[in-house]
Amino acid sequence: MSDKIGFIDGNSLDGELTCEVCIVGSGAGGAVLAARLAAAGKEVIVLEEGGHYTRADFHMREDEAFPMLYQESGARATKDLSIAILQGRAVGGSTVANWTTSFRTPESVLDQWARVHGVRELGVGALNPHWDEIEKRLSIAQISLEETNRNNRLLYDGCKAIGLEAKTTFRNTRNCFKSGYCGMGCPVDAKQSMNITYLPDAIAHGARVVSRCRVDRLVVEAGHVASAECTVLSSDDYGYAETPQRLRVRAKKFVLSAGAIGTPSILIRSGLSGGVVGRGTYLHPVIGVTARYKDPVEPFYGAPQSVASHALAHRGDKVGLFMETAPLHPMLAAISSSGFGPQHRAIMTELPHLAAHIALAIDGFHESETGGTVTVRPSGAPLVDYPIPPRIWEALREGLRTLIRLNLAAGADWVLSGHDPALRFSSERDLGQLDSAPFAPNRVNIFSAHIMGGARMGDDPARSVVRSSDCRHHSVSNLHIVDGSIFPTSLGVNPQETIYGIAQLMGDRMTQSWQ
Amino acid sequence: MTRRSFLKRGLFGGALLAAAGAGLAMWPTLMKHHPRKPLLVLDARGFAILAAIAARMVDAPGADPIEIAHGVDVVIARESHEAQADFRQLLLLFDSALAGLMDAHVRPFTSLSFDEQGSVLYAWRDSRLALRQSGYKALRNLTAAAHYASPTCWESVGYPGPPKISGMVATPAATP
Repeated sequence: MSDKIGFIDGNSLDGELTCEVCIVGSGAGGAVLAARLAAAGKEVIVLEEGGHYTRADFHMREDEAFPMLYQESGARATKDLSIAILQGRAVGGSTVANWTTSFRTPESVLDQWARVHGVRELGVGALNPHWDEIEKRLSIAQISLEETNRNNRLLYDGCKAIGLEAKTTFRNTRNCFKSGYCGMGCPVDAKQSMNITYLPDAIAHGARVVSRCRVDRLVVEAGHVASAECTVLSSDDYGYAETPQRLRVRAKKFVLSAGAIGTPSILIRSGLSGGVVGRGTYLHPVIGVTARYKDPVEPFYGAPQSVASHALAHRGDKVGLFMETAPLHPMLAAISSSGFGPQHRAIMTELPHLAAHIALAIDGFHESETGGTVTVRPSGAPLVDYPIPPRIWEALREGLRTLIRLNLAAGADWVLSGHDPALRFSSERDLGQLDSAPFAPNRVNIFSAHIMGGARMGDDPARSVVRSSDCRHHSVSNLHIVDGSIFPTSLGVNPQETIYGIAQLMGDRMTQSWQ
Repeated sequence: MTRRSFLKRGLFGGALLAAAGAGLAMWPTLMKHHPRKPLLVLDARGFAILAAIAARMVDAPGADPIEIAHGVDVVIARESHEAQADFRQLLLLFDSALAGLMDAHVRPFTSLSFDEQGSVLYAWRDSRLALRQSGYKALRNLTAAAHYASPTCWESVGYPGPPKISGMVATPAATP
């Protein structure tokens, strides 16, 4: 391809495009794969429903950033609204809005995928060289304890005080200012998100990245994808409204990298439902606390997520947990606290003195767990359902207990749960409240920012959607899936680096077997 | 479908309130709050109900129920058609005295006193019906988010706002 067109707004296009590989989605999976395939000489088009934004657009304001960068303005949730889902929607996907935490996949997870889910040729040995390369490209490095903010330092100190291991996180940043606004788009291009790294790499090798272009369906004929049918989204109001413009993209190969909600919903809209499509969705369900300290915490400033504890990741037969921090800006604080009226206001006025810590349940590792589902409404919009089973509620209760204990040990005046009404803990004696507290949908705030599964990989076509060797669909010969939807379980770590590694590996395997 | 069975279904999961829609229209809403600009999803009645809810939910200096209701209207306009229809029905159900019969009040939410409105919100929050729990959560989160996302709240919560770093760049344009 000879043209130098790079980031293209779908509104400037009309009719039909052709290429060798059409990748749907520009997040962690689509961007790395696009760069790899383009570097190998393939003619690549990446389609992205979100808009293309740069640091000049990132004003560190929640009222702008959430509709700009998150699905459904940040209001996405499961069907019964019991789990709030934070998921990105922009050129670069969730990497533009995430909190930079970068971990390689735990070896025990890859072992379980091989042993239980028939995932072949995807061990640490195959992924390590790719992670080495990716960590260099994205400047992934461990932050020092001295560089963490007080919110994170309190998690660290609290863990140590109750005898739990905690470490600083690895972050994909270069010359980070530690402003605290990763979740609203990095205003100084310190975060090495896909929109400033692998997507420009892909473009340098001739790829075209088309924004505001939503794929409605793939046209499948005789076990082969012929084209992607797309609707161009408005350039007004962050691009939620449909325009009358339609695009058709023809390609030799198609790759779905639309994330663990988008990918299953495109499969379903394309008549490729059935089997385990839209089943086995895992969320790392999150429970949190807000803890009040006498000295200011300023949870809105500083590297937002720079300490993690995996000390409870393996709890025998019980669901494992890991603990991290969350930044608190006013809107996130308002949503994650409880109550209304004067009671809610009283919590909000404490904002500068609040710490916010979270416990994430590592779901999908027990044979009884079937995870959630993704279905499609008559309009085509996706619908996520995730009934939390008792064993995960047990883990969330234990996670909450641990978060309360570590904050009290770190010197908190009081700790609030996400129940409504909130439970208040001023000393260990108050922990008994947890035994009678409701752990049920919409009785306590539950979140997710890690959406995984729904189109899992494996060697058995009856139990998986794509084969693990090259992520090719079991029955559609020119369709691959490369994103978090192929995970057979959750991970126990933040998912971006797992997706990067798998995407680059699969790019090489697709190139080697190119037909 | 019986009323009880539709109340047990999820909130945004389908056209759950369609059966009640016609009946709800007859209960009078107190139209205390009026829109300042064109509405996107809500009608004047839904707007008045939502603004009344916002006035009770969000107690903060500078909180303006009309601005909050407009903000929620904008967010809902970006949702699917199904979610928009459900949200409109939720507001009508919330205000209706029909639903109020379950909580021993027979006037619409919009015409209740401050304390009575609080009781209605608690009744929805603590209800055993999934629809009411979800409804409370949706109304609480949407109204709270609409206010606290806005810089108008910053001073009242002790948030100094973002640092001044305009024009500063951490790295030159990233290169491979």
